[in-house]
Amino acid sequence: MNENHRALGAAALVAALVVLSTVVAPLASARPAHEIPVVQNPEGSLAATDASGWEAVPAADIHLTSAPSGVPNADDTTIERVHVQAATTDQRLYLRLEWTDATRDANASDIRGFTDAVAVQFPANRSSRPPIAMGGQNNMVNVWYWGSDAGTQELLAGGAGSTTPFQNPAVETDATYQGSGENATWTVVYSRNREVASANRTAISTDGNLDVAFAVWNGSNGERAGQKAVSEWHYFPMSGGPGGPPYETLLWTVAGLAVVAISAVTAFGVHRARGGME
Amino acid sequence: MSSQDEGTPGEDTHINVADGIDHQVAMVMDLNKCIGCQTCTIACKSLWTEDGGSEYMYWNNVETKPGEGYPRGWEDSGGGWQSEEHSDRQPGEIPSQEDYGRAWEFNHDEIMYEGSDEPLRPREGAEWGPNWDEDQGAGEYPNSYYFYLPRICNHCTHPSCVEACPRSALYKREEDGIVLVDQDRCRGYRYCVEGCPYKKVYYNTVSKKSEKCIFCYPRIEGEGPNGETFAPACAEECPPQLRLVGFLDDEDGPIYKLVEEYEVALPLHPEFRTQPNVYYIPPYAPPQHSDEGESVDVDRIPRQYLRDLFGDRVDRALDTIERERQKTRQGDDSELMEILQDKNPAEQYRLEVFENE
Repeated sequence: MNENHRALGAAALVAALVVLSTVVAPLASARPAHEIPVVQNPEGSLAATDASGWEAVPAADIHLTSAPSGVPNADDTTIERVHVQAATTDQRLYLRLEWTDATRDANASDIRGFTDAVAVQFPANRSSRPPIAMGGQNNMVNVWYWGSDAGTQELLAGGAGSTTPFQNPAVETDATYQGSGENATWTVVYSRNREVASANRTAISTDGNLDVAFAVWNGSNGERAGQKAVSEWHYFPMSGGPGGPPYETLLWTVAGLAVVAISAVTAFGVHRARGGME
Repeated sequence: MSSQDEGTPGEDTHINVADGIDHQVAMVMDLNKCIGCQTCTIACKSLWTEDGGSEYMYWNNVETKPGEGYPRGWEDSGGGWQSEEHSDRQPGEIPSQEDYGRAWEFNHDEIMYEGSDEPLRPREGAEWGPNWDEDQGAGEYPNSYYFYLPRICNHCTHPSCVEACPRSALYKREEDGIVLVDQDRCRGYRYCVEGCPYKKVYYNTVSKKSEKCIFCYPRIEGEGPNGETFAPACAEECPPQLRLVGFLDDEDGPIYKLVEEYEVALPLHPEFRTQPNVYYIPPYAPPQHSDEGESVDVDRIPRQYLRDLFGDRVDRALDTIERERQKTRQGDDSELMEILQDKNPAEQYRLEVFENE
């Protein structure tokens, strides 16, 4: 009778834990503040701003503020947020950035004209997180820059003012400007082969978190150099992370409980064996 | 006004060469000799600014004073330093293309090949350009006045363009203090264009980089076809030979004597506090005339206007010139007048004095 009660109780506890894990998993997948979800191998193409693959990729809304900088009017920036989508295939990492900008500033033929631009910043070496403002001398950043007149540049920087372009950028972009008035948006898709052999290029592996930050310039506001709207450091969970499907959580819960049960049984067995000897 | 910002008095021989600079190139232009022919302008242009995007640039320009200048209104466009500490820069503006003037297109084809008999003229949009207000000047007949002001980069001792660049793309060359834009470092931000109070850095919309006068450094380095050293083209090509070229710290040279000893060669707009290394002998005009054509004892060029351009030291400079002129009138020797006549070409361009260091 006692034995039966005990067995029933244990079974009920296990069942409750499993049910709880399936309920809690979706709650737990509500993202940490600085995490940007990465979808692995979505269906469809990702190379263009309007490619079908992006429909299945959730966007993170990244808040931007004026970068700390010594250049004139550094506090005067206009872009306040950028939507970021990220996806990986077996070969490439794709990023899609979209932001609202009522003026399309793409013509740099005026002496006074500045152009719209956007940049994505990664640690050049992922072993530690560099200073947010263009990295540091011993802790450089790899920047993917797109300018509406200059096109794509891949940059290396070790502190403000040290930005240096790579001879041959490994990054490809596609950009469009759509709409009109206050709702007009720039959309820029970046992609890079995950396997690019270079000491100063960020390794894009399928494990761990990949730190990332963003910057946007509004040309018609005279924004260039350190006069830019920037984000804090965020990260891409490259292995899928907590945002993975719930059945994974379920399997891990069951496996965890199995480990606990086996340990308990073993401990109980040892305890009984010792008790028997007494 | 401290003595430091405009060179030290002749009594001590301290030369204000910038920190970390071995020697400082310098130029003295005698405004009394300038005839406004623009030969310097064209000599510079045909050497350095004929490529795409540089059409509108005149690293050397000659403007009429009083006048708006090139670019129009440059004297009020900001830049330079807020104080003698050289720690805080004065905010500045990027001039508009209209203020520089656009490169005009002319009706050459119609006249040369299509038999048109209309006069040769710009097609359209010719509403402003360098020296547009040529010879306009100021004052009323018979006391109107004007003079020409040739301008290049001043290769300043405290260049605010260099400080303005967040990338250190502009730098002051260690061996001779020439200020240059590293075309590999420049990313076209144009803080240097804003930051130069003389508006002598120009943005090239084709290369997307900034450019400026390089003091013809390949010529002074002897990079010409015969390996000879030449002064900058603007100086060598000048018909009245109004420019002296050398080093400010060459104490045996005429520039040192004019700037540091006689103090008759003055920087333009010393109140910008960048400490230019191009110096001007101020214009020495005849006095005003009465309606009857008699000379009267009134300055033709208002002294205050010259003070606005060259600072308060212009009074003493003009007094010194007057005193030395008087000497020669009386048959005495005047070293200053000899230098200003620069009859000795070897003294006019002294660019090899430090070569053996």
